[in-house]
Amino acid sequence: MSGILRVENLVKTYPGTRKSPAVEAVKDLSFEVASGEFFGLLGPNGAGKSTTLGCITTLVRPTSGRVVVDGLDVVRAPREAKRRIAVVPQTRNLDRDLAVREVLTFHGAYFGLPKAEREARADRLLAEMQLTDKANAKPLSLSGGLQQRLLVARALMHDPKVLLLDEPTIGLDPQARRMLWETLRRLHEQGLTLIMTTHYMEEADRLCQRVAIIDHGKILQLDTPAALKKALPGGRILDLWVRSPEPIAPRLESLPGVLRVEKVTTVGEDGFERLRLFVDPKDGLLDRVLQVVQGAAGDLQHVSLTQPSLEDVYIHLTGKELRE
Amino acid sequence: MTAFLALLRRDLKVASRNALPLLMATLTQPILVVLVFGNILPRLHLVADEFRTVMVPGLMSITMLMAGVQGVLMPLTVDLSGSREVDERLLAPISVFAVALEKVVAGAIHAAVAGLVALPAMMFLMHRVTGVEVHPQLGVLLPLVALCGLLSAAFGLTIGSQVQPRFSGLLFAVILGPMMLFGCAYYPWAGLAVIGPLQYVFLLNPLVFMSESMRLAVTPDVPHMPLPLLVAGTVGFVALFTVLGARSFEKRTIL
Repeated sequence: MSGILRVENLVKTYPGTRKSPAVEAVKDLSFEVASGEFFGLLGPNGAGKSTTLGCITTLVRPTSGRVVVDGLDVVRAPREAKRRIAVVPQTRNLDRDLAVREVLTFHGAYFGLPKAEREARADRLLAEMQLTDKANAKPLSLSGGLQQRLLVARALMHDPKVLLLDEPTIGLDPQARRMLWETLRRLHEQGLTLIMTTHYMEEADRLCQRVAIIDHGKILQLDTPAALKKALPGGRILDLWVRSPEPIAPRLESLPGVLRVEKVTTVGEDGFERLRLFVDPKDGLLDRVLQVVQGAAGDLQHVSLTQPSLEDVYIHLTGKELRE
Repeated sequence: MTAFLALLRRDLKVASRNALPLLMATLTQPILVVLVFGNILPRLHLVADEFRTVMVPGLMSITMLMAGVQGVLMPLTVDLSGSREVDERLLAPISVFAVALEKVVAGAIHAAVAGLVALPAMMFLMHRVTGVEVHPQLGVLLPLVALCGLLSAAFGLTIGSQVQPRFSGLLFAVILGPMMLFGCAYYPWAGLAVIGPLQYVFLLNPLVFMSESMRLAVTPDVPHMPLPLLVAGTVGFVALFTVLGARSFEKRTIL
């Protein structure tokens, strides 16, 4: 496996204006993606995911650092680099003046595909994405899920080596989301390199081979989803929604079998606080936890014992829930 | 070059589908002006006879200016809107400058077609009025129409990529309105000698070169600037606005 994409010490600072200060969107980000890999950039809104994608696709000019796609520096050789990448953007920017099939054939023409080839490829992609019966419709008349499939089809028209997807399932209903997941999985199996940004943990967990969790323009952790979850203390998560007059977290932390207690900043209704206990489940652990709560004259609203998810990793790393 | 031509083909295809509304938008004004100032008022003896001849090339140049500016401005507004349709173009294997240049060429074709349709339309509306001395010299008309089209579209790109879409109404009132009145559309530039050295201030208005170009090409008997000066002025403005426009287009699109 060789690196098809290398991001080296990437920095992007948007210059300030008189009314707003400069924004350091990306601060010294480095990672490498192997050919054929499904790579995820996970993080909350404003973490720097889209800016990173922008730098890779030449739409954002890096302040410093380098992005190399298939051996080509995207700032020095943008035209050649652009032939190798394709983008499914966050905002659906389909050409509203063309029909669905024309969106594909013209995209092929922009990339210099001969007429016969672009027509054949457009028809094949329309069939694959189940859009053949919409070939003459206007893109904006399609549902969100169909538009998203058309965006993927458009991206595949010029046979890219790397497909970048920016929050591809945002705003899709569950069926459309699953269908898109299937499509992406199929493309991955066919050997395409995929890089996806998302703030849906489940999505990253299901699809990505490696995940970089980023926030405030920096990578907090980069590994396979399994390894990230394994790195959590304990191995199980006990989720408590609790309300008590006295501080309860230190007492819980001193219990045997409780490795760490994290306060999640979200406070539920009626002053309930959410605590996440990283536990090594042993006999009687739940009893002891309940005793502590009762001893502090507290109320318990909700208890659940779960396998850690990527969201737990995220909360563990940042001490907060994903910002919506 | 392939991507450039494909983008141009796309723009012309979309424009040709909307040809009727586009032509109506650009031709209504000159046709009505001709009807009133070239037909009704002369019959009422309220304007001088020479005015009919003088305004034909002027209205052609105004038509081209409006068509060129709108031909760039309207698609650009869609491109730079929230959905960022322009990103697809920027991701094509082509430089940002070439994407901007393609917009100028597409707008120029729009402007040239509008100008070449306006001329016979105006001549037809005035055909019963005697004393109109319009003699199109096709050999110089076509290249000059092409140059003037480029100038209109490059100017459209410059203002379109600098002005926020919500101010486009203001743009027409504050920039294009005065340009048209002071653009030598309704009087030949040579006649401005009566106002002294101020005559030369008018040369800052690119429309002056367009009106005088059309004057040379369709009403050669009316005084007009010499050809070398016209070509130099027009080409100079085309180069200036193409560079300025492409630069601000890049600023707007690449963060």
